[in-house]
Amino acid sequence: MTEVRLPTFRVQRSAFRILAALWRLNFAEELQYRANFVASLVGTAFWIATALLTLALFFRHTTLLGGWSYWEVVVLLGVFNALTGVIEAVLRPGIGQLASEVRSGRLDLVLSRPVDAQAFVSFRKLDVWRLTDVALGLGLAGYALARLGQMPSALQLAAFVVALASAAVVVYAIWVALMSLAFWFVAVENLSVLFDAVYEGARYPVSAYPGALRFLFVYLLPIAWTTTIPASALTGRLRPEIGLVAVAVAVVAFALARVLWSQALKRYTGVSG
Amino acid sequence: MTRARGWVGTYAALIRNAWLVDLQYRAAIGLWLLWGITEPAIALGIWWAIASGGPVGGYARADFARYFFALMLVNQLTIAWDSWYLDRWIREGDLNFRLARPLNPIHESIADNIAYKARSGGVILVLWLLVALVWPAVRLSFDPARWALTALAVLLAGAMRFFISFTTGLLAFWTTRASAVMELHAGLALFLAGRVAPLSLLPPALASVAGVLWFRGMISFPVELLTGAVHGASQIQRGFAEQMVWLGLWFAAYRLAWSRGVRQYGAVGG
Repeated sequence: MTEVRLPTFRVQRSAFRILAALWRLNFAEELQYRANFVASLVGTAFWIATALLTLALFFRHTTLLGGWSYWEVVVLLGVFNALTGVIEAVLRPGIGQLASEVRSGRLDLVLSRPVDAQAFVSFRKLDVWRLTDVALGLGLAGYALARLGQMPSALQLAAFVVALASAAVVVYAIWVALMSLAFWFVAVENLSVLFDAVYEGARYPVSAYPGALRFLFVYLLPIAWTTTIPASALTGRLRPEIGLVAVAVAVVAFALARVLWSQALKRYTGVSG
Repeated sequence: MTRARGWVGTYAALIRNAWLVDLQYRAAIGLWLLWGITEPAIALGIWWAIASGGPVGGYARADFARYFFALMLVNQLTIAWDSWYLDRWIREGDLNFRLARPLNPIHESIADNIAYKARSGGVILVLWLLVALVWPAVRLSFDPARWALTALAVLLAGAMRFFISFTTGLLAFWTTRASAVMELHAGLALFLAGRVAPLSLLPPALASVAGVLWFRGMISFPVELLTGAVHGASQIQRGFAEQMVWLGLWFAAYRLAWSRGVRQYGAVGG
């Protein structure tokens, strides 16, 4: 993210110190609730089990889903789960709270701090136990690759890492854009549900969707690509060069979100407004 | 007689109140509706793709379309969020002032459900009619008797899901993870109630579990009654009988959990 040099965005070295301090505090706090770790692990295992069972149900009646075999879709599910982990660990506890803060005026407390408001709102909280989702997701993807009998080359692996990181940035940008809407639609406190609804579509490869749905998930709200592209890079469906395209898309998405955020912030009137 | 009139007045006031509260949050309700629609829409999309080569287990593409549109409507009309509310009421103490009223809090929850479903179910019905204008696959044949039976089945399913949700929420009297239990139930219902696929497409072992427990009566039976997959007097009678037995059992579970839980709750407060 440091490479992005928009006129309004420069990362100071102190930012990383602040971030480290915030997350250290968070981590110390979370250590008090170690039972949550087990609960999170059980929850994720249960979620993966239902997703695999759903998939097995589909594949009882077909051999290919949008041209993808069973284990290829499992790779994608692993990627989906890893991205979900990032969302639940960082985005929902951080920027996901924005709508209610705009509504109640508690955002005042954020804006009065001498740090970049977007960065602070986005990364102030780390729900560390949910990072197990990332590990479990990547583990699932790895297991599925082994079942496919194809070990990715170093180049493919690099392309996957880049594509996955880009996907995380794109998802982040979508959250920023969505939450910025809270400045216009103050009464809507469950804006994140809009994301959850559409993100469901990312559980399957984009090629599996017919007509109208494909238009919706793939072109109108291109969230489905965030799992399809990294999974394709891993299984060799796409050439490693796709990583470069992914980075370009991520940079554009990030810049657009930044612009929208700064426009939205101008509308904030605080508690007294 | 006056007692019955008293109840009508009470419910009219509660429903009117819930309706007006919902009116304030109509945009938020719209988003919840959207969320409720995407899951069946995605399942329909996948089955539509799978059925491109011909019918799957007796379901052609149009059958899937009708099934999942009926599912959207039935699910919206029977869904109950009460476990989530109760969990919060009990943990954060919002139950206290409700207990102080001369009315069991369950009546407020029932009225909330009626108001919410009248609105959101109405929206889905209109959406379905609009889609049916342009997409013949989702049109149902005209059959008022079947629709009346479906209405009854939806009512029973809604009552059952309400008591399941309410009773699970009451677990918060004893544990802090009542909502986790509800999520576990929702995960099972994904398959056993027919939310990802019609029950006849499940592996036989799984389908038989669904038939023994209450899950079929929750969603699958009213949906298939509406689409016509359940037909013939004996099948229909069996479905209704199952629904009534399970509704009775869940109602009994609610009575038990409520009387025990409130006593325990008072003990904590005192």
